[in-house]
Formats: sequence, structure tokens, C-alpha cells
Amino acid sequence: MRYLPLIAALIMPVASLAQDRAPILMDVAETHILPRFAKLPETTGALVSAALVDCTPTSPALRAAYDDAFDSWISASHLRFGPTEVDDRAFAMAFWPDTKGFTSKALSQHIAIEDDAVQSPEAYSETSIAGRGFFALERMLFDPVIAEQGKAEYRCALVQAITADIDASAQAMAEDWQSYAPSLTRPGEGSRYRTQDEAMQELFKALTTGLEFTADTRLGRPLGTFDRPRPNRAEARRSGRSLRHVELSLIALRDLAARLSFDHPEIAADLDAAFARAIENAQSIDDPALAGVAEPQARFRIEALQQSVQDIRAIASTELGPTLGISAGFNSLDGD
Amino acid sequence: MPSRRHFLAGLAAATLSPIRGWASVGAPDFLAAGLFPDGSHRLAGLDEQGETLFSVPLPARGHAAAAHPFKAQAVAFARRPGTFAVVVDCATGAQIAQLTAPDGRHFYGHGTFSADGATFFATENDYEAGTGVISVWDAQNFARTGEFSSGGVGPHDMRLMPDEQTLVIANGGIETHPETGRTKLNLPVMDPKLTYLSLSGTVQDRVSLPRDLHKNSIRHLAVRQDGLVGFAMQWQGSTSEHPPLLGLHHRGEDPRLLSAPDEDQSTLQGYAGSVAFSANGGVIAITCPRGNALHQFDVASGSFTKAFVLEDVCGLGAGTDGLVFTTGTGLFGALTDASPAIRTRAKCQWDNHLIPVRRPA
Repeated sequence: MRYLPLIAALIMPVASLAQDRAPILMDVAETHILPRFAKLPETTGALVSAALVDCTPTSPALRAAYDDAFDSWISASHLRFGPTEVDDRAFAMAFWPDTKGFTSKALSQHIAIEDDAVQSPEAYSETSIAGRGFFALERMLFDPVIAEQGKAEYRCALVQAITADIDASAQAMAEDWQSYAPSLTRPGEGSRYRTQDEAMQELFKALTTGLEFTADTRLGRPLGTFDRPRPNRAEARRSGRSLRHVELSLIALRDLAARLSFDHPEIAADLDAAFARAIENAQSIDDPALAGVAEPQARFRIEALQQSVQDIRAIASTELGPTLGISAGFNSLDGD
Repeated sequence: MPSRRHFLAGLAAATLSPIRGWASVGAPDFLAAGLFPDGSHRLAGLDEQGETLFSVPLPARGHAAAAHPFKAQAVAFARRPGTFAVVVDCATGAQIAQLTAPDGRHFYGHGTFSADGATFFATENDYEAGTGVISVWDAQNFARTGEFSSGGVGPHDMRLMPDEQTLVIANGGIETHPETGRTKLNLPVMDPKLTYLSLSGTVQDRVSLPRDLHKNSIRHLAVRQDGLVGFAMQWQGSTSEHPPLLGLHHRGEDPRLLSAPDEDQSTLQGYAGSVAFSANGGVIAITCPRGNALHQFDVASGSFTKAFVLEDVCGLGAGTDGLVFTTGTGLFGALTDASPAIRTRAKCQWDNHLIPVRRPA
């Protein structure tokens, strides 16, 4: 039997050459991450105020505040690690996709029993996660079925409880990100990240996971198959925000990608061109809720948009990934 | 329920035709799928020295396979979310039959034969309902004869218990839909379970993890001869937490969770790919391809005994005197004297699992 030297088993994936990542890590933390989590509670605070002034679902001021706050969450939600993940905050902000209709069930349940958890944000945060966050609020503001359930006073209190809970999560994330950011910029002793490469890999993962979610879920769910399109599965379709979420996520991810590829101008240029094409595709579609997935002509353009996001993913994984020491093992990538 | 007649027929086939069956293809100890240098995906039979005894072509990338208890036949599954599995004659490479998932279903990549070889079971996703199903196939003609609930969401690995009357199923808890690729659709509410079912689908036992570990997806299984089940997990929660990725369960008892000290555990990226007991049942290990590590534990005490550094290690099985493993770089090795000895280096990339052919005595 051939007996190969032990060392063969010990060869590790080629580590990226030692580079000083500190400037990039600092830049991403200071210019990409922290401003997004600073803006988020400003807009969720305004949402709470708007709901206190007028909780009527059709209130233009309330709906505008909902849009602003949801915009700032979508622009930050790809940063799904560290403080964003604590206590399931990201899911508490946005419970979607909701394959089994848990959100409407949770809301109907609150309304049916006039659940007094709406009296305090702490109590509300202990209720079903599906009844919390922007998708629960969307139901309250835009779903005619919910609008006919129970008493108007209770529904008002529920809207106010949901907005207060969103704001509490946003404040907590903003605060925690302030203290977490140094962990990213100064890896090593006392940090979550042992090396600069580990911190870079976390950010790279945020980029690729964000692209994957937009391509496969935001666009893939409503696209379904040609024979069976699923317009009712588009994200936030009731408030006509489906396409906007695609665009906002691409804008946010483009910013992150540019910063991560700063040391590699050619890769940066490839990525930026691919993002520009995808964003242009998104902006050329006039179909806020992606309802066109069911019509061949409109569907074709939405499929082209999805493909342009997949193109960005391919560049990120084949060009940018290797510069960050991301191993591409046959099994480690399989995920099964 | 396998009948006595089937059982006797199986016994006859096994004993009266000694040159047929697995002996006719060199008596492999394991099956493994792999990507070969010509770009083809193949299913190979390996002995415990790592020598490839045969290989037969597969139509696409494989995941796991199931070996018939005595015929030289294997059911090889496509990678999730595949909708087909092929039954191959390992002597000729001929495809004997194809299992096709019905509309609205896909396979998860694992299955098992009944002890008499008459029935085959496969894990499936009923993806519109978001629930797990076990499909039942006649192993003579591979016609689908029935199905029952897997007792959870996202059933992945499944094994026949030593009593030969019970299936143990790793209901990973994660809901996916083929239209959204591998996007996980239910992480905040996922609820993985280890489920024991009779061969007709009656729930015998159901085991959940503590609430704070509800995002630890139970994926792969190993069963010891006395019915002790080892389960490997994949963590879907925060990357800053490093929970145990290996559990042991004996029916009627609470599960025991095994972990390395945080210094080692934190390198695994929350991901275990395969699990196996050693031949004498005293040792259990998990492979961790994302952490490039193999972690070994003492079953009796539950204590962590050793970490081996192995690039892209995933396949794992019991050799006569210690665990054997395969890697995505083509290595087959054995863990003897506490160090990995590379036995063969194939020009292929071995896929996730090593499937034992010989049923444990």
C-alpha cells in the first residue's frame, strides 16, 4: 500500500498573502456599516412618532414614515452578523419569506383576543416573531383582510406596538454596532475575529449572501417557474416595494463591494460595471410589485435582472473571493 | 412490513449465490461518489485500504448512496434538490432503474434499504407544504408503493436501526423550495428533530434539542449496534456562537451533546458534514470540511479526544482498526495511532459521504 507522507494531509488551503487589511476594515466599519445603523433608528423613531400622531392605515404621513424606515432597514439588512443577529433581531425586523402565513395568523390572533402585549414594547417583543417587524406593519397598513378584523382602537394600539418594537430593535442594533465595530477593525486578542482575514471573510460573506438573497429569494420567489409564476410571493408586494428592495439592496451591496475590492482595481472595476448593469436593469422595470412575472414580456425583463445579479455573484466568488483567502473546497462549499 | 417470505428469499439469494452480490465486485467496504478528472461523476466501491475496486458513471453530481444489503446494487442520489436517483448494478455499471420524485417533491440525497433488501426508503421534500416525507419503493422493480410523513421538516439522513424494524430520521428542520435554490425559508421558527418511525411510518419517538439550540440542524446519522445514534449538526445561528455539532441519543434517554473546547470548536464554522462510530463502537467522530478538521470523541465519557487537520475532509466510516476518511482533494486515509495515515491519493474529488457496504455484524 502506498504510504504518503503525513504532511500531505496537513496542507491547508492557500492562505492569502499577508496584507494589511486595516485600512479597508476601518473604511467599511466607519463609512459603510456605522452610518447605516445610525440612520436606521432615526427613521424608526420617526415611524413611532407618525404612528402616535395618526395610526390610521391610510395615513399618508404614517405610510411615508413606513417607507423611509423600511428603506433604511433594507439598506442595512445585508449586514447580518454580530449585533444584527443577536436575539434574532434581523428576523424581528423582517419576517420574510413567510411560507406558512405565520404573520397574518399572529396578527389575527392578537386582534381576536385583544392581546394586551401591545401595552408595552417588552411584552410585545416576547410575542411571535412573525407578528413583529415591517412585514407585520405592512399587513396592518395595507391588507384589507386585517383592516376588517376586530376594533379600530385595538388595531391602532397594535400598529403602535409594532412600530415601537421595530424602533427598540433598531436602537439596540445601533448601540451594539458602536461597540462591535472595533472588533472588526482590530482583530486579535479580545476580538471576535482572530485575524484581519477572518474579519474580511465575514464582510465578504455579507456581500455574497446579500447577492444570493436578492437573486434567489427576492426575485426567485415571485418568478417561480415559467409554467407557474408566483406574483403573490413577491416581497412586500402589498405596499408595492418588491422592486425597490432589489434596487436598494444592490445599491448597498455595490458600496460594500467597492470598499472590499479597493486593493484590486481591476476586480473593483469588474464588480462596479456588473452592479451598474444590474441597477440599470432594475431601474428600467416599471413594475413595483413584480406582478409582471406572470406575463411573458415583463417576465423576460425580470429574469434578465435576476441573471445580472447572478453575474455579480460569479465575479464576487471567482475574482474577489480568492484575494481574501476564501477556500473553495469541493465539500466545504457543498453545504449538505 | 417486510414479510418472512421476503426475508427467506433474501437469505437464499445471499447464501446460495456466493459469487454474486458484493463479492462479485471485489467485496468493497464502502461506496463513495466523486468527481473524476475527465469531468464525470462516478460512484466508486472502495476497500478499507482506499483502493478503488470499481467505479460506475452517474448522470450528475452525487450526494449519498445506499448499498443493497446483499446484491451488488446501489441507489445513488443526485445532489439536493435532485428529483431522481439511479439504481446501478455495480458489477456492470448498468443502470437498472431510476427513481423519480413525483411533482412537487425532491429527494434530499439519502435513503436506506430494509434489512431483507425488499424495500427502499428515501427522504423527500413536499415543498409546497414545506413538510418532510419518507417515500417507500419496492426494491424488486423500484416502483413507488407508498409514503408517510417524516415527522418533521427537511428530512436529510435516514438509517435503519439494529432492530431492523425502525427508521431513524434526521429532520434537519430547514424549509427550502427549489425555486429559491438553497435559501433557508424558516430559520427563525426552525425546529429540528430526531424522529424514530416504524417501517410503516408510525412515530415511535421524537427528540428535540434544547430551545436555545433550535437553529442546530440535525443532518447526518450513525448508528451503533446497540441502538446508540450519533447525529451531526449544522449551526444556522450567529457565527459568534460555537455550539456542539455532535450528539448521541439512546431511545428513552435525553440526548447528550459533545463539543471540543471553544478554542477548537470555534474553528469549525458551525458545520459538520459526516459522522461515524469506530468498528468497536468506542469512538465517534465528525468531519468538518469548512474548518478543515476531523474531531474525535470517546463515546463512553463523551469527551473530546483529538482534532486532526485535514483539508476539505468529509467522508467518514469505520475501518477494521480505526476510522477512515475521504477528502475533496482525493485522499483516503485512516486514523491509527492518533495520526492520519494517507493510504491512497485518487485523481478525483471525493464527495461528502462514505457509505458502508458491509452491514455491521
